[in-house]
Amino acid sequence: MPHWKKSFPVDLAEEGHFSRREFVRFLAMVSAGFTAGIGYLALRKQPLAGAPDSVAAPVGPLRVCPASELAPGNSRLFTYRDDRDRCILVRTRQGTLKAYRQTCTHLGCSVRWDGQRLECPCHHGYFEVDRGFPVQGPPTRPLSALAAVEQDGFIWVIGDLPKPTLSQEKS
Amino acid sequence: MIPGPKSQLTTAALVAVILIIVIQLYLFETVLAAVLDGQRSVLPGALAVSAVLSIVVLLIALKLPSLDRHY
Repeated sequence: MPHWKKSFPVDLAEEGHFSRREFVRFLAMVSAGFTAGIGYLALRKQPLAGAPDSVAAPVGPLRVCPASELAPGNSRLFTYRDDRDRCILVRTRQGTLKAYRQTCTHLGCSVRWDGQRLECPCHHGYFEVDRGFPVQGPPTRPLSALAAVEQDGFIWVIGDLPKPTLSQEKS
Repeated sequence: MIPGPKSQLTTAALVAVILIIVIQLYLFETVLAAVLDGQRSVLPGALAVSAVLSIVVLLIALKLPSLDRHY
């Protein structure tokens, strides 16, 4: 028997034994954690960061940047309601202005502009830029959109847009 | 060795618990996505379902007598 086995006479297989009951108790803790998480969401009064706030007062127009600073195919980040309300302004290659909240509708990561689509890097979800609909990956709901206009040489964000639906898309 | 009825029950309990955890994960992900979308009306129902599932898992983990039996 090697020296180290005499010094450490623990059967490694036995040491790593994990009974079914211990395993199921661990899973019970995990399950309780999920329930606690949903309970926290239910008790929390404030909306999550980036989630639309239906009871908040409407915000006035916001001057984001000079129009000359946003070339076609580029994007710019800004905040709208408060510092936590992160949004992204995109000028498409066709020159159209689009503004969305950065919060991915899957699990809340921040989306970014990849030159053609809005990409969520966490789970590789993609949204088309015209209306914010998910086109690939796990997200199933469109991004929260804002109205952006160009006026007097500046780009303004003037308010929230209603969430588009597929029925509106068909009509 | 052919597993006896109690052994099958134990395995069934284990499979049921793992299945419930998968359901809980999917439920939490769905609820979080709905809340991020501003739809908070799903929360009471989801909380009730999740609580029931957790109680079932806890009962299996703490009360089922044959979970550790070896055959």
